[in-house]
Amino acid sequence: MKVAVLSESPADEAAIRILLEGILQKRTQEIPSLPHIEARQGGWPSVKTLLPVTIRHLYFNTDADALVVVADSDDTPVHQSGHEQVGGEDRRCRLCQLRSVINMEKARFRPIPSRSPLKTAAGLAVPAIEAWYLCGLDPHVNEATWARKLQAERITFTRNKLKAQVYRTERPSLQMETRYAIEAATRLVDDLSMIEQLFPNGFGSFARDVRSW
Amino acid sequence: MIKSVHFKNFKALIDTTLPLNRFTLIVGPNGSGKSTAMQGLHMAGNTHAFHFLDVVTASLRDVDDITVEIRVNWDISDSVVFSNSGWECEDGKFKNFGPDFNVGQLHGRVITNFREALTSFQIYSFDAQKLALPVELFPNATLYADGSNLAGVLESLRDKEPESFEALNEELGRWLPEFDRVLFDTPKKGYKSLLLRTRSGHRIEASDLSHGTLFALAFLTLAYLPNPPSILCFEEPERGIHPRLLREVRDAIYRLCYPEDHGEKRDPVQVIATTHSPYFLDLYKDHPEEIVIAHKDEKGVHFERLSDKPNIDEFLQDAPLGEVWYSGILGGVPNQP
Repeated sequence: MKVAVLSESPADEAAIRILLEGILQKRTQEIPSLPHIEARQGGWPSVKTLLPVTIRHLYFNTDADALVVVADSDDTPVHQSGHEQVGGEDRRCRLCQLRSVINMEKARFRPIPSRSPLKTAAGLAVPAIEAWYLCGLDPHVNEATWARKLQAERITFTRNKLKAQVYRTERPSLQMETRYAIEAATRLVDDLSMIEQLFPNGFGSFARDVRSW
Repeated sequence: MIKSVHFKNFKALIDTTLPLNRFTLIVGPNGSGKSTAMQGLHMAGNTHAFHFLDVVTASLRDVDDITVEIRVNWDISDSVVFSNSGWECEDGKFKNFGPDFNVGQLHGRVITNFREALTSFQIYSFDAQKLALPVELFPNATLYADGSNLAGVLESLRDKEPESFEALNEELGRWLPEFDRVLFDTPKKGYKSLLLRTRSGHRIEASDLSHGTLFALAFLTLAYLPNPPSILCFEEPERGIHPRLLREVRDAIYRLCYPEDHGEKRDPVQVIATTHSPYFLDLYKDHPEEIVIAHKDEKGVHFERLSDKPNIDEFLQDAPLGEVWYSGILGGVPNQP
């Protein structure tokens, strides 16, 4: 299965591919013409900007089977199950925004003979992918805790503290990020139920999307 | 480390303070005093080498009894330490002074280090032709401000710090995957020149390498020096470098500033850089305390740390920092006439 991954950095992409393969329980192939669709370091704005053209590129120019896109939520609302209801989407929620872009682009596709539809899956790391890496290591780090922080409750971690906790510096190099990302994702795929339980909306939605392929 | 620098009557910096961090990225339009501030720091350690008329604010050149002053506020845990450097014109007579420190023998060794930091201060603005030149070999080769002597510095690294040289080669392969090794040639006796080996085994002479490749190699070299100067400045480190490599440039700079985070035992380097690149600025969105915006208006130049802007997090939210700065919303854009 040929799958492209769009995320905020090559390090994130490395981890997401491992998690994806854990969910699928099989190896995936990178898209040969596009091994790394790399959003520039602008983070979320770059992912959002790049997503429509990436979807079109994959559909019209490649034989990709699927696209996975994962972004950090940062300080935006945590995705809720209520957002999945018709008319329930929250325009401030990044997962809702990703899905909206995906649906809009896919709706505009003209059919191509012998081209199967492009499968998609979207995830939201709350508040950042480093929180996923700490899953099972720090019991305080989970979606529910972060949601309380957004309600102005004092909690034990910030986004920069998550980085420092994972990389032992707030200024990790890309190489360092990639090494830790691969280590963490490899650990997490041994038991995905834990991350699905602690990150039920951002990771859980992603896993459900993938399982629906 | 320098906490801040106050400039008085120094060129375009009439009365302004530049706040500094272990790493500081200064953004602003052309002529907003970014380079002048760096020059000022260089001159503060070498006042004897410059004349009053070279440094005084243009509009004050013909005014009597003017002092040009650069006051450096040093970061030291238990004391307020500052140094004054400058130039005076009194009754038509010129003189220079400093750096004079406000503390005496109590901090003798610390002051010596600070003084050395100021005098050895380098402003790097790489020139591809200079980077590529063969060099005459001398012991203790240092990289000059325009990148001259790169071949000598790299050869010295190979001979004296072979592990660092190997690590540099490995990182070079990550930055520029077509290359796998730095090689040397002897164009004539006593001289060395630089080559890069491609993965397919071809040897490319430095003069045939792209400017971006040479700039990247120069950054890598600085990041692997065993004893880099304690304060460094970079004029537009992104110049000539592909945007995809900017993250690596940022990482190299951070390694200089935070060696302890990278398992290195040397002292941290304080780095000041300027940029005009929204892409490069984006890389620092998580650290607004490291970004300084240079403003120029009718009152002159002033510097403002991004994190000192009220409610900056709420204000920026999802917006890409580089684009917001480029739009002028954060200031630092010249007023229309």
